[in-house]
Amino acid sequence: QAVSADSSGSFIGGAQLNDLKAFIAAGNKRLDAVNAVTANASCVVSDSVAGICCENTGLTAPNGGVYANRKMAACLRGAEIIMRYVSYALLAGDASVLQDRCLNGLRETYAALGVPSGSASRAVAIMKASACAHITNTNNTTGEKRKMPVTDGDCNALSAEAASYFDMVISAIS
Amino acid sequence: MKSVVTTVVTAADAAGRFPTQNDLEAVQGNIQRAAARLEAAEKLAAGLDAVTKEAGDACFNKYPYLKQPGEAGENQTKVDKCYRDLGHYLRLINYCLIVGGTGPLDEWGIAGAREVYRTLGLPTGPYVEALTYTRDRACAPRDMSPQALNESKS
Repeated sequence: QAVSADSSGSFIGGAQLNDLKAFIAAGNKRLDAVNAVTANASCVVSDSVAGICCENTGLTAPNGGVYANRKMAACLRGAEIIMRYVSYALLAGDASVLQDRCLNGLRETYAALGVPSGSASRAVAIMKASACAHITNTNNTTGEKRKMPVTDGDCNALSAEAASYFDMVISAIS
Repeated sequence: MKSVVTTVVTAADAAGRFPTQNDLEAVQGNIQRAAARLEAAEKLAAGLDAVTKEAGDACFNKYPYLKQPGEAGENQTKVDKCYRDLGHYLRLINYCLIVGGTGPLDEWGIAGAREVYRTLGLPTGPYVEALTYTRDRACAPRDMSPQALNESKS
């Protein structure tokens, strides 16, 4: 916001401050959201990669995208990296760290290495579903799973924000 | 742009780790101080013209030699630019209060300032006088609350 004000040479006051005040007021929720995502990171990541392998068994066949432990490990690591930058973006309330340090050049890298972008996008979509469920504490579709003890409140805005960061990843690689 | 959040995210990224409890606590601190900072920013934005004018007047009062021929304030155009400069700095201070870090001042105000002022023959004493005057002129609770004053003075 300071950057946009500087380009017009104006001070930041009144109306523009109200957005920031809302950001501050929802700050504790945001911290809980980041906590919900990071506390379950390994689960979210491994579940997403396992999900794409079950949906598309060709991936683990010889010459498949994650055939051999080396490629599977690289795939898990890739998913974790994406997850990590999404958690940074959610903490900062801004996608620039995700864009600059993770997505910039990712599509080209995947194309050069022959990573199937359709499967990668599907893995991100699964991470999105599960991260959003953790943020809104609604991850109980198949019975009570991990629930976080939190004060009741509405976290749909934060869940939507996290979803938008995952969508950004999907559109960057597909 | 240096702020609490960018500092913890950069450190976490350098180590390749997810945001930890400590990182979240640092951001929590940011939230707690936000009310005071934003108040100061708001007051500064509202009273900008008066503050800039007083700061500029203070520096020409202390250093009247600036208006002599060949000096930095020898004609009205140059004097106007002095007031404009002070307005720029106050604007960057406003941004710093918003951001909660010194990033805007570092990147847009301080980096390269010494070289510019040396080359253009602008003495730094008058800038110091203007900003010192502004700092000491502010008064709590008349202008803003004590905590907000601390934030803007720092």
